[in-house]
Amino acid sequence: MHELSMAQAIVDTVLDAAEKNNATEVVEVTIEVGMLTMLNPEQLKFLLDVIVEDTLLANAEIIIEDVPVEIDCRSCDYTGLANTDGSDHYLSIVKCPQCDERNVEILTGKECNVKTIKIEKE
Amino acid sequence: MHKVAEVEVQHDIMVANKKLARKNQRILDKDRVFSVDVVGAIGSGKTSLIEAIIDAVDYKIGVIAGDVISKYDAGRFENHNVPVVGLNTGKECHLDAHLVEHALHDMPLEDIDVLFIENVGNLICPVDFDLGSHMRMVVISVTEGDDTVEKHPLIFQDADLVVINKVDLAEAVGADSDKMVRDVKELNSEVQVIKTSLKTGTGFDDVIKAIDGFITDN
Repeated sequence: MHELSMAQAIVDTVLDAAEKNNATEVVEVTIEVGMLTMLNPEQLKFLLDVIVEDTLLANAEIIIEDVPVEIDCRSCDYTGLANTDGSDHYLSIVKCPQCDERNVEILTGKECNVKTIKIEKE
Repeated sequence: MHKVAEVEVQHDIMVANKKLARKNQRILDKDRVFSVDVVGAIGSGKTSLIEAIIDAVDYKIGVIAGDVISKYDAGRFENHNVPVVGLNTGKECHLDAHLVEHALHDMPLEDIDVLFIENVGNLICPVDFDLGSHMRMVVISVTEGDDTVEKHPLIFQDADLVVINKVDLAEAVGADSDKMVRDVKELNSEVQVIKTSLKTGTGFDDVIKAIDGFITDN
């Protein structure tokens, strides 16, 4: 399961940052997940809640922020949000909403970023 | 007294994999090994296609065979007398750059020209994981249904070569292989799409030519 390995990598990253900052407990973790990743935020959160047991994160609040898809169109001058409305958003994201071309650079939407943590210290 | 502090972490798990992927590519480039990430659904014919390529070409091939638990595919490649490293992912549904890096250490890179990395049978999870290969070949077959491309668009967006396999069975399973080609082109107008049947030999030479082209351009 894809989300499990990502959840484990997130927990390892948080623990590493917490230990470097002499944390006694992690109280909050904020993660950014791009809409273009093949990650399901709900599954990710469920798995994080399971694997944080007996760690510094055991009682941490886990906040997952969706990152929308932003593109830079190489065919016209459009830079900004892609149209990701509707169930077929995977198809529409590769198109520029202005000129309808697929020749776009994806600026955001592919990340799984541990953004910040809130920790308790002695 | 306890105090709460906010710590900026800004560690992107995806970027970490990408960095490892670039490292893998440097390892491969050092020994002038061209690598192909072979992605496709279970039963699409990835293993059979790689076996046929091994038997058809002159260059020296190595294979990393990714599987969830078994060594079955690795055993098939060993029968063709090429260096093989079997990679078991355990619970995971994809290979990642870290796993491939381990396999590269066990591969006699100085003795091979082309490395095929057979990914785990899946059209979804491998999208997120660059392995550091020089090209990605996506293998699908008509027996999976001619809506396969529409259902898994992202894997085709970054593909360098798409093989639509088992076209000899299209009529029997009621699939329109031309539609599959059109669907791929709709997502990725640049990509070369080849219809194949390993049973009849249809399109197989074109696959070899396409891979040769990528090797020459690299």
